[in-house]
Amino acid sequence: MHRVVITGIGVVSPIGSTHEAFWSALVEGRSGIGPIVNMATDHMNTRIAAEVRDFDPAQHFDPKRVGLLDRFSQFAVVAARAAVKDAQLELNEELALAAATIVGNGAGGLTTLDESYLKLYGQSAVRAHPLAIPRYMANAACSQVSMDLGLKGPTFTTVSACASGTHAIGQAFHMVRSGQAPIALTGGTEACLVLGTFKGWEALRVLSADTCRPFSRNRSGLVLGEGAAMFVLETRERAMARGAPIYAELLGFGMSADAHDLTAIDPDGAARAIRSALIDGKVNPEEVDYVNAHGTGTVLNDKGETVALRIAFGDSADQLAVSSSKAVLGHSLGAAGALELAATALALHHQTIPPTANFEEPDPDCDLDYVPNTARNAPIEKAMSSSFAFGGLNAVLALGRA
Amino acid sequence: MEIIDDVRTIIAESLKIPVDRLAPDTRLDELGAESLDVIEIVFGLEEKFDITVPFKADQGTRVTVPGKNGPEEIEFTTVGDVANIVQKLVAAKTKAS
Repeated sequence: MHRVVITGIGVVSPIGSTHEAFWSALVEGRSGIGPIVNMATDHMNTRIAAEVRDFDPAQHFDPKRVGLLDRFSQFAVVAARAAVKDAQLELNEELALAAATIVGNGAGGLTTLDESYLKLYGQSAVRAHPLAIPRYMANAACSQVSMDLGLKGPTFTTVSACASGTHAIGQAFHMVRSGQAPIALTGGTEACLVLGTFKGWEALRVLSADTCRPFSRNRSGLVLGEGAAMFVLETRERAMARGAPIYAELLGFGMSADAHDLTAIDPDGAARAIRSALIDGKVNPEEVDYVNAHGTGTVLNDKGETVALRIAFGDSADQLAVSSSKAVLGHSLGAAGALELAATALALHHQTIPPTANFEEPDPDCDLDYVPNTARNAPIEKAMSSSFAFGGLNAVLALGRA
Repeated sequence: MEIIDDVRTIIAESLKIPVDRLAPDTRLDELGAESLDVIEIVFGLEEKFDITVPFKADQGTRVTVPGKNGPEEIEFTTVGDVANIVQKLVAAKTKAS
């Protein structure tokens, strides 16, 4: 069993696409949520989202290549390149042959799907674009990362709605820990801000009309977002030997299924995933200082997650600092767990707890320390990042200070 | 056909139960309706009557509809409540057009 560390972080996010910009917005509670600019909103009741606004594909891909990549693949490749650069990693042939590439996304190329269906059903086009399928397929982002960086080891996509990114990173972590791969490029990506997907979320009646206020009594629902975060994971020995920067150590990974409700969180199922991450990482509940919560800003999630944390942590729940990054990042579905792992790893690195922004009113049913609105400098030795998905699929990562 | 008859049909189809189980004072939760069922019923009503029901899954089951003396709040609880909500939204739509 190897110890596994994070040596590179790459993000494409609504609050910036360097991890310096990403971190400063998180700490300052500067939200990426705002009026939608990348698409027409004539047919929508919801007019806000956390969009990636500064992303120009032409800056990252030559004109011939760009046509092969849906927006969700573009995000993943750009984040993966940034992670490799950040890790100061030289991918020689031997390493590339063994490197794992595991990417999570809740859907696939939704932009491609929306455009294709608009032409076929809306405009009676007689043929679809020949690249529609290779752009759309759920594994496209993962394959594009592997091709872009020349990574040839175990490579696959995990799909588990809002836990996709966390499931991907957990698999990569276990592969590096067991020695199946010496390094891994892993994370999550999603580009879901298209009409078809938006209307589906509107129909579920969980979208906020103003902003996302996790754990705050006057919450009004969730806000959709988009983006990607990718990481370089490697054995601690390798990272130390090559003098690489280490952000945090991955200690444990836990998974569970609720086998209960299709959309509502089940506190017992969520608590089992948290416990299993603690056990996997040989971490005692009272050792955990900080939890980056799933915290979507819906009543069901916020109350259910609070109960889950109380079940999993018992008496030590009152000592936890818990914050949700979704007030700032929105909910980027399959990418959310990865972006939130970036937040958690950077919290350990900077020894600073990012706040729950937009926290306006305590909720008697949510009675933990949610680090309201102001970041906190505090020693953090152990931390967790949780994702609880539609379909009752839960994934939780436990981390330690480097 | 009365609005209540369409409402009963839509609820019965969503919950996969015989329509004769639905009286005006029948509570949806007693019929086993869970949150996704309710959202499906709301969708069925909106499609059938071409209305928008201001229902938020997250904020209880209280729905604000236009009444004779300004907005009024109705609980989305019984079959009769649902018919009442639809009635008011249809009336407001007819008035507006």
